[in-house]
Amino acid sequence: MSALTEKTSRILIVDDETHILQVLSLKLRNAGYEVLSAGDGEEGLELALEEMPDLIITDFQMPFMTGLEMCRALATNKETEEIPVIMLTARGHSLNDADVSIGNIRHVVHKPFSPRAVLELVTSQLCGIDAHNDTQPSDSEAA
Amino acid sequence: MASLKLAVALGLVSAATGILLHDPSALQAWLLGQGVVLRGAVLIGIPCLIFLIMLIPLGIAHDRAIARLSRALETRADGQAEIGKIDAPGWLQPVVNVFSTSVERMAGECRQLRDQLSAVESRTFLVEAQKKQSEAVLHTFRDAVIVTDVSDQIIMANDAAAELFKFDVHEAANRSLESIIHHEKLRQLIHDTRQVGDIGQCRHAQIHINLPVDTTTSDMTQKTNFDVCLTCVGNQSGDVGSVVAVLHDMTHEQELSELKTDFVSKASHELRTPLASIRAYIEMLIDGETSDESSRQEFYRVIQDEAGRLSRLIDYLLNISRIEAGIVQIEKKVLSINALVDQAVSSISPQARNKGIEISLKLSPEGLRLEGDRDMLHQVVLNLVSNAVKYTPERGKVTIVAEKDTLTPSILVSVIDTGMGISPDEQRRIFDKFYRIDNYKQLAPGTGLGLTLCKHIVETLHHGHIGVESKLGMGAKFWFTIPLRQTSPRIAA
Repeated sequence: MSALTEKTSRILIVDDETHILQVLSLKLRNAGYEVLSAGDGEEGLELALEEMPDLIITDFQMPFMTGLEMCRALATNKETEEIPVIMLTARGHSLNDADVSIGNIRHVVHKPFSPRAVLELVTSQLCGIDAHNDTQPSDSEAA
Repeated sequence: MASLKLAVALGLVSAATGILLHDPSALQAWLLGQGVVLRGAVLIGIPCLIFLIMLIPLGIAHDRAIARLSRALETRADGQAEIGKIDAPGWLQPVVNVFSTSVERMAGECRQLRDQLSAVESRTFLVEAQKKQSEAVLHTFRDAVIVTDVSDQIIMANDAAAELFKFDVHEAANRSLESIIHHEKLRQLIHDTRQVGDIGQCRHAQIHINLPVDTTTSDMTQKTNFDVCLTCVGNQSGDVGSVVAVLHDMTHEQELSELKTDFVSKASHELRTPLASIRAYIEMLIDGETSDESSRQEFYRVIQDEAGRLSRLIDYLLNISRIEAGIVQIEKKVLSINALVDQAVSSISPQARNKGIEISLKLSPEGLRLEGDRDMLHQVVLNLVSNAVKYTPERGKVTIVAEKDTLTPSILVSVIDTGMGISPDEQRRIFDKFYRIDNYKQLAPGTGLGLTLCKHIVETLHHGHIGVESKLGMGAKFWFTIPLRQTSPRIAA
């Protein structure tokens, strides 16, 4: 991990699956990141506006507000429109190009995913490197 | 006799004419008694009289022959018999023979024509009958059918086509396509199909037609997708005779396709979610991300729970699919409903105790019995009681009532909780595959298939009913009924 990301980078993880929240939080904390977590889109949006994280990892399908709806809301706010987003999804091919062009979605990662690969994506995004070629094709795709 | 009268008349006229031709003043000379006049009259008048006398038998014979011929023709015209030989004087016989032969030939041709006419009439009748039958069949089609000829005139159209394009089906025949079908693209497709001229080959095309959303409100329309199959039909000379256009409404297929896509997408999501946890936790263990043994134990437990969730999902999916496909073999026996409830409650009691939830039973003391598959009905009771405990807050109450419904007659089982309740909209969708109430997702994990399976077991396999009654914030009551058995075989539970 670079010196730039080691000290202050804060990651917001939004997922209604508690186990996913726990496992990603642990992986990123162990890597030295500060982690915030939210259990649905509404809570995630609220936390993003309050805390202004450096990167957001969000699930697509969640109660009350989906990940896409949250990204759309973030994109309409000047302060949050530039926050890079990594989208997790378990819905196979139901996300199309038009969907992922919303907001600042940089990568779409299909479940089941590798926490190791997600950590690599987070690190590369925060260092300004496109890590698409460095991740497993089955785990993620560029948005 | 008409000929005889004619001969006599001709004789008299000839004699008089002879006298007058010889000398116009003959009458005067006769009256004056002059010999020249008398001589002239004798020389011309007598031969004429002799000729006339000779004509009389000839006329009679001719007259009879004509009468016989006339009778023969009348007989022939009636089609009753052959003409046969017609008697006539010798000198007239050749003429009669020629005439008779001609009439016989004509009679033969007439018979032939009559036979042909009968055959044509029979064929016409058959064709008409077949046409009516074909039209009757076409009119029963739900697909719209339009048949046009080489000059783009409508040969026939069925009721579905008339309804779709708003025309009178009885007045469409022989009218131009343009005056009946106000859909430019369809007309162009029919025209193009004829131009291409592939006889017997169906060309498929897609068109959109704006149809009223509701028949009572004609101003609201929606674009409906139709598949058009266009086929050229050849005539007797092998050229393109007509074009048949069959329009099939794709709405049902599209709905099925969307349902299938939606099901695959939801199933994918539900299966991938526990799998994601399993994979992630295993990788974390491999990477040594856990610092102590208790964390590792927690990881093992999560993996075990999620594997169980995955297994349940697959079981539910398979059971639902098998019930929907009608391939489930169930073993119906007489069961005690009290025993089914007790069994479910004892399975759920540990979770209820952990949350401080009281489970209250109101079972009929007489021990109600029903006929059903024990394993299947156990799943139903277990699912409803499990849901009630999962979604009822700590120190809440779950009541299970089993009673006889004398009206139906059936056994009614109700599971009543003191949870947060379910809105009317959510009540309508709660038995749908993969549907989960948003607010409930954070309370406990679930597959979104348990209630779907319950509905199938109760309604499809046991011909009962299942439902929910609730008000937000006032708890919920899930109930199901199973029709009472009519006979009394041995008790299996």
